[in-house]
Amino acid sequence: MGAIAALMIATYSGPMPGLAAVLGIAWSLTNFALLQQLVVAITGTDRKSRPAVKRAAFAAAGMFLLFAIGGVLLVLLPPVWMLAGFLVPFAVLVLKAASVLLLESRAWQWMVASPWRAAVIVLSVVVAAWWVVPALIERPATAQEHASPHATQADTTPPVTEHDAAATTQHGSAPTTEHGAAPAGDHAAAEGKGHASEGPQKFANVITVLSRAFPNAEWAHFLHHYEAVIFSWLVGLLIILVAFIASRRPQMIPGKLQNLVETLVEGLYNFIAGIIGERHAARFVPFLGTLGIYIWCMNLFGLIPFMDSPTSSLNVTFALAIVVFLYAQWIGIRGLGLGGYIDHLMGQPRNLTGWLLVPLMLPIHILGELAKPISLSCRLFGNVFGEDMLLVAFVSLGVSTLAWSNLPIGLPLQLPFLVLALLTGTLQAMVFMVLSTIYILLMLPHEAHGHEGEAHHAH
Amino acid sequence: MDFQAALGLGLPLGIGIAAIGSGIGLGLIGQGAMQAIGRQPEATDKIQLAMIIVAALAEALTIYAFVTMFLLSSKIGG
Repeated sequence: MGAIAALMIATYSGPMPGLAAVLGIAWSLTNFALLQQLVVAITGTDRKSRPAVKRAAFAAAGMFLLFAIGGVLLVLLPPVWMLAGFLVPFAVLVLKAASVLLLESRAWQWMVASPWRAAVIVLSVVVAAWWVVPALIERPATAQEHASPHATQADTTPPVTEHDAAATTQHGSAPTTEHGAAPAGDHAAAEGKGHASEGPQKFANVITVLSRAFPNAEWAHFLHHYEAVIFSWLVGLLIILVAFIASRRPQMIPGKLQNLVETLVEGLYNFIAGIIGERHAARFVPFLGTLGIYIWCMNLFGLIPFMDSPTSSLNVTFALAIVVFLYAQWIGIRGLGLGGYIDHLMGQPRNLTGWLLVPLMLPIHILGELAKPISLSCRLFGNVFGEDMLLVAFVSLGVSTLAWSNLPIGLPLQLPFLVLALLTGTLQAMVFMVLSTIYILLMLPHEAHGHEGEAHHAH
Repeated sequence: MDFQAALGLGLPLGIGIAAIGSGIGLGLIGQGAMQAIGRQPEATDKIQLAMIIVAALAEALTIYAFVTMFLLSSKIGG
């Protein structure tokens, strides 16, 4: 939660406040943990024992160190944001205590005794918030200088450079104005900011945030340029990590993670073996299954906030399709021999009509082979990218419906489409995998795989 | 009619026409698969797999129109 809040802050008011908030939260949490250690060690039942004294000493030393670090950080980073971060755990504590008190009070029990009563009260609270919050937000916004009074309107958000400049200057002069200037509709603002650049905009992700924060830095440009590559590496590393952890100590009675991964791998194996035949399965399942899992994870990666689907870039999908294409051709050449491969491309002429048709068949087959990677990559790219665009469109629609209320909220119109995105992401990964399997299958020598497929499906 | 107006009219229309075509195709595919499953419920897995593959092929045509639209739509507001 803290990390997400800090990312929000970093998006809208620059990297240093975000960093400060994160460090503030971390500092405060560490402080709590040490304090608890100290208190437990001093007042616990075994307070005279050696380890308790040692722990108390450690905690005290840690707190001194912590205060020193806090002082240094306070000098280095914007103090207001640091304080805000520092106060977050306290706020959580207070809210928790308040809710515990509230839950046991008589009034609360009276309120929840009837659902209608509760509904009426909730409604009245919501309506009250509706009236009160804009008034609270309006006041500081009008009181301060009119740097960007229309920033609250999602559609009139100024382009990226102006807005960032405004935000940083405002932050430098009076950090408290950030509260008033925080535009209604986070997502719409994030999109609106990017209108200066060309083409349709996707959701802001970590790298967009970074490159917006450091518009002049060389490395930020580099990151932004190779965004898809970085995210696909990230996905790959995650998969490697999970697979490594799951298979590090295989046990006869699998734990949760091992169970999950084994189910996935076995399901994929059976699925592919059902298409390609049991005989070839052991040879091709590692490649095809990895492809399927990788694409699946990449498709779903974009649904995580501040992440992006690498497959919504045509370069990534085209690279994957080229890999499949080359692999299928290689399988064909190796399985059939070079002569057999060319024979295959010529439509296997065995009589005069066949040889007469070669000038027609050869280009058709070659074009068909070349069309495969193009259709594979465009299909995946179009689906994932289209899904992203759909989500963006509906988020901005939901925000603009509530823009008149001046609240930083929007109708969650995108929720059904998130479910749809899960579905299409899974389905398209599967389609990519199945089609690659079929392309490879078509290149294999044509004896008897149909029979094996039958035998497999009989079970 | 200049180039941009032609694009502005043609791109949405193109997607619509492609969607009509692949909608008809998907309907036929679904109909065939449902009938096949109704006749032979024990072959459901096999039929569904084939159905999904063919449905993806039919759907891809609309996706091509969609990608073309996105590639060309940046040229409209130029």
